[in-house]
Amino acid sequence: MKLKNIFKYLMLGFVALSLGSCSNNTDAEQLFDQTPTERLNAQKKELNDLLFTSEYGWKAVYFTDDTQLGGYTHLFKFLPGNKVEMASDFDSDTKTYTSDYDVVLGSTVSLLFDTYNRIHLLSDSNSYPTTALRGKGYLGDFQFLYYGQENGDIIFKSNRLVREVRFVKATAEDWADLSKNLITQQNLIGSSARPLFRSLDVNDGSKVMKYDFSFNVATRYVLAPSIDAGSSEVLSFGVGYTPTGIVISPAIEVAGQKLTTFLYNDTDGSFTATGTGGVTASIKYSNSPFVLTDDYKLLLDGNPQMVFGYIAANLYTAPTTSAYFKTLINKVNATLPANQQITRIQLYFNSPYGTYIEYRFAGGRPSIYHTVTTSENAANKTIVLTNDYWDNGVAIIAPPGYLAEIDAVFTNTAGLYVKKESFRITYSNTVYTFTSAASNFRITTYQL
Amino acid sequence: MKIVKQYKVIALVAGVLSFASCAHEDTLGKSQLDYTQAEKTELDNWIDANYLNPYNINAQYKWNQNTVDNNRFLFPPMVDKVQPALDVVKKIWIDSYTTVGGYDFVKKVAPREIVLVGGVNSNTNGTRTLGIADSGQRITLFEVDYLDKKNRANVTEFVHTIQHEYVHILNQNKPFDEEAWQKITPGGYTGTWHLEVLATSRSLGFITNYARNNVIEDFAETASTILSSTKAEYAAILASMPADGRAKLQQKEAIVVQYYKDAFNMDFYALRDAAEKNTNMVVNN
Repeated sequence: MKLKNIFKYLMLGFVALSLGSCSNNTDAEQLFDQTPTERLNAQKKELNDLLFTSEYGWKAVYFTDDTQLGGYTHLFKFLPGNKVEMASDFDSDTKTYTSDYDVVLGSTVSLLFDTYNRIHLLSDSNSYPTTALRGKGYLGDFQFLYYGQENGDIIFKSNRLVREVRFVKATAEDWADLSKNLITQQNLIGSSARPLFRSLDVNDGSKVMKYDFSFNVATRYVLAPSIDAGSSEVLSFGVGYTPTGIVISPAIEVAGQKLTTFLYNDTDGSFTATGTGGVTASIKYSNSPFVLTDDYKLLLDGNPQMVFGYIAANLYTAPTTSAYFKTLINKVNATLPANQQITRIQLYFNSPYGTYIEYRFAGGRPSIYHTVTTSENAANKTIVLTNDYWDNGVAIIAPPGYLAEIDAVFTNTAGLYVKKESFRITYSNTVYTFTSAASNFRITTYQL
Repeated sequence: MKIVKQYKVIALVAGVLSFASCAHEDTLGKSQLDYTQAEKTELDNWIDANYLNPYNINAQYKWNQNTVDNNRFLFPPMVDKVQPALDVVKKIWIDSYTTVGGYDFVKKVAPREIVLVGGVNSNTNGTRTLGIADSGQRITLFEVDYLDKKNRANVTEFVHTIQHEYVHILNQNKPFDEEAWQKITPGGYTGTWHLEVLATSRSLGFITNYARNNVIEDFAETASTILSSTKAEYAAILASMPADGRAKLQQKEAIVVQYYKDAFNMDFYALRDAAEKNTNMVVNN
């Protein structure tokens, strides 16, 4: 090609380029009127303003992970200068503390509590409620992604576990009554004066389903396996405290309704959530176990020898050892010299020497033996121990006064429920519990 | 030729035109991002006066998720614990290096940022991480809330962390003779150092269990343990070791001393003495 033609085409190219290049028409559809930066800034301002719209600040029951942990109530009052006042029912300190907060831009707009305050207690790798959570604390976050508003509430999601956290407008009472949440905690743990057994009864309006209620205060979590024949359902939920009762997450779903708010009744110690059309869920006390076992039959006359030992060093703190039992043991120990406390109570059934209770002591104090006879209460499924005589291994003695109160529980005519437990404590020995049918007495023993 | 010249001129004009023709953009307005600085507190001013201005080091105590491992459950330090902790770090670490290495030493070779975390960074294997040095730029210090200035063991452990991390930063600036080091105790390194017994590690020629992690950590542990111990404490460590282990540790010590001399023209023992003097001052005041 001639040089002249090259220039010609080159010029043509230039003209085409100059004409086409300045067109700024992009065919992409404009979804928003504003640029992303403008929108994020607007959202940031929206959240910043929103935080100040509630006179008494905000309340959030923060369920960090409702598959294993309960809810922790936090109150926030945002102040000018990026300050925030905060109180929490995480522990007994429900006082208000001031720290900093910020509304920051990251993947989205988020609320960040950037200096130390109560909410950081949930995110301490060194303070964990169960060994499974070692290094993870209570799985808490203190940065919350802003997801908008709903009926006046502010909706956030936690930064790491992405759980919904709802800020609702707080009232003056919320601040004044926060410490009452701790009383609710005690009510939910249950007083030792109440019966030993609790059920969660769920009424769908026509029939009642019963669950064996157990509450772990360290995790604020409830596990309630069904006690209805043929059902293996387990209800599980986290608990948050309120001054008047509890809120749970996830909700219990009955007949299409979601029950979350339970009210406390101090008369019988129950917590009840009420829906419509006769739907209720209620946590109630009961005097007898829900599932009565036949384990007591192995101990009746004519069976091979079985020996059970309560060993104070390992079993005083067992979860199945009842407060009333501890009270009685403490009373006995209070009458003894400090170096001669009760170390063991052993129950021997059908031994070559008969059936007897051995009280064993520390500090060289000799054991004392209470020989009894046994009988069956088939209707209640209990074994009844009846006094025969006391001895000190050498000679028959008069019943010792300092053991009278605790011994009377073993020999109560209502008898003892016997249960072979499925858990182990420290050792591989099978654990049996003996529960009085007449009082809140339950002793935890190893089969020896 | 003439016609070519003519085309050249036309082409030039066309070229200039096509480049210039689109230049009709609006002038830039103000940034849409919010750059307003938060009001400085007394603590912020203290940090500026004691870290940022003299050493060009920023100390961050407010939470920023980008500077901390998000998989760990950590939290910011209590505000009233920040200044005491930074004060300890400055007196024992910065002042010692300044005394021996010269006024500008830490300013030139230093992390640009110190991040403070309130609580324990506990690992799933039961150990706890006391500090982290990121690519020579940032040192993260944990357990700020628990620092007790009056407790010598506590202060020593806290300062040991920053001494250790700073040795890493020095190494990242000027490498030490890893080959020579490796030859001293080649068989003693193990990934499960946290299961080892200190007496065993010492008999093998390691100053701590963590030193057995790898050569890099061994160097940092050897240097930082000597720096955060008194002369007498280090002598006691040597005296407690069997002869073979002691000889190996002393070989390592010699490499450390040589490294400080060659790389930074510093007398390592003078540095140790300065740190000891400053530690006494912190604990006793």
